[in-house]
Amino acid sequence: MKWHVLGIRHHGPGCARSLQTALDELKPEVIVMEGPADAETILASVSQDMQPPIAMLLYPPDEPRRGVYYPFATFSPEWQTLRWASQHQVPIKLMDVPQSIHLALEDKKTDEEESDDESTSIVEEPIWRSDPIAVLAEAAGFTDHELWWEEQVERREHSTGLFQAILEAMTAVREAYPEARPRDLLREAHMRQVLRRERKDLFHSIAVICGAYHAPVLTEEALRSFRIKDDAALLQGLPKIKTAATWIPWSHTRLSYRSGYGAGVHSPGWYQTIWEHRQTAPMHFIAQAARLLRTADLDASSASVIETLRLAETLAALREVRSPGLNEINEAIHTVLCHGQDGPLQLIHDRLEVGDVIGTVPDDMEAVPLARDLEQQQKSLRLKRSSETKTLDLDLRKENDLARSHLFHRLQVLSIDWATLQPQQMSTSTFHEFWQLTWKPELAVEVIEANLWGNTVELAATQKAVDLAQKSNHVAALASLFHQALQAQLDHAIPAVLQLLQNQATLAADVLQLMQAIPSLARIVRYSDVRQTQANQVLPIIQGMLTRILVGLVPACSSLDDEAAQAMMQNIQQVHQALELLQQHTPREDWLKVLQQLMHREIHGEVRGGCCRILLDTGSLTDESFHRIARLALSPAHPPAQVAAWAIGLLRGSGMVLLHQDELWRMLDQWLIELAPTTFIELLPLLRRAFADFTGPERQAMGEKVKHLGVSPVASKLVLTGTESQLNVDRARLVLPTLRHILGLDAISST
Amino acid sequence: MPESVTTREVIGVENKLRLQAEQQFAEELAELIKQDDRQKPPSWKLSPWAVRTYVLGGTLSNGFVVTPKYIGQSRLIEIAIATLATDRALLLFGLPGTAKSWVSEHLAAAISGTSTLLIQGTAGTDESTLRYGWNYARLLAEGPSRNALVASPMMVAMETGRIARVEELTRIPSEVQDTLITILSEKLLPIPELNTEAQATKGFNVVATANNRDKGVNELSSALLRRFNIVVLPVPERLEDELIIVQQRSEQLGRALELPAEKPALEEIRRIVTIFRELRSGMTDDGKTKIKTPSGTLSTAEAISVVNGGMALAAFYGDGVLRAGDLISGLHGAVVKDPVQDKIVWQEYLQSVVKEREGWKDLYRASREVAE
Repeated sequence: MKWHVLGIRHHGPGCARSLQTALDELKPEVIVMEGPADAETILASVSQDMQPPIAMLLYPPDEPRRGVYYPFATFSPEWQTLRWASQHQVPIKLMDVPQSIHLALEDKKTDEEESDDESTSIVEEPIWRSDPIAVLAEAAGFTDHELWWEEQVERREHSTGLFQAILEAMTAVREAYPEARPRDLLREAHMRQVLRRERKDLFHSIAVICGAYHAPVLTEEALRSFRIKDDAALLQGLPKIKTAATWIPWSHTRLSYRSGYGAGVHSPGWYQTIWEHRQTAPMHFIAQAARLLRTADLDASSASVIETLRLAETLAALREVRSPGLNEINEAIHTVLCHGQDGPLQLIHDRLEVGDVIGTVPDDMEAVPLARDLEQQQKSLRLKRSSETKTLDLDLRKENDLARSHLFHRLQVLSIDWATLQPQQMSTSTFHEFWQLTWKPELAVEVIEANLWGNTVELAATQKAVDLAQKSNHVAALASLFHQALQAQLDHAIPAVLQLLQNQATLAADVLQLMQAIPSLARIVRYSDVRQTQANQVLPIIQGMLTRILVGLVPACSSLDDEAAQAMMQNIQQVHQALELLQQHTPREDWLKVLQQLMHREIHGEVRGGCCRILLDTGSLTDESFHRIARLALSPAHPPAQVAAWAIGLLRGSGMVLLHQDELWRMLDQWLIELAPTTFIELLPLLRRAFADFTGPERQAMGEKVKHLGVSPVASKLVLTGTESQLNVDRARLVLPTLRHILGLDAISST
Repeated sequence: MPESVTTREVIGVENKLRLQAEQQFAEELAELIKQDDRQKPPSWKLSPWAVRTYVLGGTLSNGFVVTPKYIGQSRLIEIAIATLATDRALLLFGLPGTAKSWVSEHLAAAISGTSTLLIQGTAGTDESTLRYGWNYARLLAEGPSRNALVASPMMVAMETGRIARVEELTRIPSEVQDTLITILSEKLLPIPELNTEAQATKGFNVVATANNRDKGVNELSSALLRRFNIVVLPVPERLEDELIIVQQRSEQLGRALELPAEKPALEEIRRIVTIFRELRSGMTDDGKTKIKTPSGTLSTAEAISVVNGGMALAAFYGDGVLRAGDLISGLHGAVVKDPVQDKIVWQEYLQSVVKEREGWKDLYRASREVAE
């Protein structure tokens, strides 16, 4: 019987190729591969219809959140093995401890310790375990461990004896650093037990495919030297839970995350190129980069491609590596094709080095956990899937309706368009939401795609919201995303989105933009049903934004045209209202100080007037100083249009406060009288508009006021001086009847 | 003429105000040549590996220590050397004060043994500076001949197979820049007056420097850009590197000006460097708070001059010890280049970072005094 242990590195393209050759040569009758044993059932469904990147997913059916992924790319040795086995009709077995045991063990642990949210808790590991290659690379004098492995294994032209070499190297490592972690000891014991079982079946040749690190303990000698009794004892009486397995589509971007196999790939696009083109990979990669740059309208001539390749090769020579690796290629592309700029290189990184490939699995594949979770929630919330369009009126004060609203909002974050929010018919009610529901069969596909983000609706929506926030650079967009996260009650996304919102708020150069964001954030703090802790987190952001607004407002108000001034004034008023709303915790004094500054500056009249008005309303302006300011503002030295603008700014808002400002009316009157007729006609529409917003009674009262404006100073003087100057009251009284007659008061009193 | 260049090198070196790289580090270069047994590109005095050791520093096999000339990312120097080895022209791009000319000088010195084949780019640079001019007396007396021709440093470099340096490439008018295209792609300089041409010898190459923050300079045409490999020299990545650079240079400069002030306190320098770094990167050093960046470059060189100015103030008007008050006006001047925008940035920074930071109150107070 022939026993071949083929140690590989997960996701190593060179390993995959060597493995392919080795399998063709060895023609094993059975293959035993590292992988959770409970996933064996879905190996049979590997077919031509599957396009990597895809992932094997194992999850407890009642708790899909805790699913574990085993992603494969085209260049993954495991995937190539599966393909080879399915083509050659060779049975394939998985030998690792099933996830049903791992998950059950975790349950036990979490029961004992504290509950842990992560499905796979990452333990601090010594360097030699998390990266056994590091030990070898350092021994070989390389500081870049990846580079060493790539140089030694992945990019090797001739693979003869490769697996033997890997086995020997790893044996040396394991002798120097014996494995001690229970989890790995358990796994290796399980692997050996499975192998022992396979050996009994009397195959002629067997291929064992495992991570290089495990190779030394899975050889034939190892099976003999480790005692069966010990291995069996380790595996005795382990708890077990039910798990389900399925294939789901995966993406290159997500390959870089740590997952079931532990190792992530940071440059799947580059590995793909190595897999496809081997020795000519650098050339292909650079040529593809040039084409990519051209699609982005950047110059990239063929001559530059040649120069890039030359530079990459020279760099490789200078660094004494056999052929350019990703570092050299990227540096050469940066220098030659991108002219030293980082932007285009980022494009190459995102689109080529990582790539935006998404895998496919056949449609009849078993339902993904997200779909199950959705179904469960639909059931518990009593929502039916129907292709008929239906409108739902949710009363958010009811628990069930609130949960439904959360679900709909979450689905919206995931772009699963089952429910769409209808614009509010009655704008007054804040606790009603109207949703339109239409289930379409295509939504099933969207659910599968969304499964990429997580296994439950909440988890997926959280991850996606965070991802979207990370990619966004607009305060407004982030604020709305934040709002969405609040509505969908994505408690775990909220802090991250908040953080990004804060960053963006700092960077936003536009004071206006910041001011626009203030009111909605202030409302969140004041009224939202969010838990208090979150409101506490929003407050510092508002405070930070206010600080920046205070610094930037005065310069931002210079040189505004009429329209901009109007917008600015609106914003100032809104911020002011927000400040009043928040009361404490705000730099109200500083804000008023800034308004004072604005009031005295040579800026657009409307802003000056508006600020003056706010200060008047808050009572931070004495009558005396207000009169002085008004006199100055209304003095003929200013161009009439500016004065009119000032008046407009001042008059906006409630009229009642102004009614008591006799002095103001007199000054306005004076100014109007002194205007030249043509200017008066020009300004009339503006002034009319200024008064248009007052309510009817207010306007009437103002009219009355103006009517008696000319009289009142005399009258008041009369009253004032009356007592002092010893007026002859008797004689004065004689005038009254005539006066009554003249004024027509007789008629009024008689009716 | 080729001869004139070589004779310049040897005359009395001691009382020169500033020494050329190849003069200052003559011993290191000689030692490197002695030890260098690797393959050399044609006409190179050192192999690429030895050039790297010269610039980045290291210890030779006989224990001789080569001082580092450039403190920063070694991969950038490797790219630069590899570029020159593939006979592509090299363009060093970067903010003012990021050691572009310094690197170019040392590369030329290490590769060709001379850094003096230098063309300073200005708005007034004309074609003859890049090609050749005429000795008019000779031209009139003898007619056009090779003897009447005055070769430019570029032409000398071509004929002798050495590195020519072009400083401030983007300041050269565009039509003059275009002269470089033939030189770089054809490696040829036609001399139509003599019906001949100067052909570049192996080893010839061009190292140009340009500044990527300046406005109103002549953008490089894409034809020319395509003939250069561009290496962007960044501002120092690590706080420690920058501290070393600033402290060394300000101490040296302080000595040159004979400033009586005490040696600058590392704490003050650390503050200046931190402020510069934070404003430059748009983020506080702890990575927690984002901040706006001003329009100025805030290079290490400027940090050096702020410290230097502060030392002068402390020495002549203060108590001889570098304090926040001595630094603040220089700091204000370095940050606020645009009176409107930068002022906002600076005030925001003061309000949100300086004011809150432990032990920085004195700086904040001093800044308020300057602002008012």
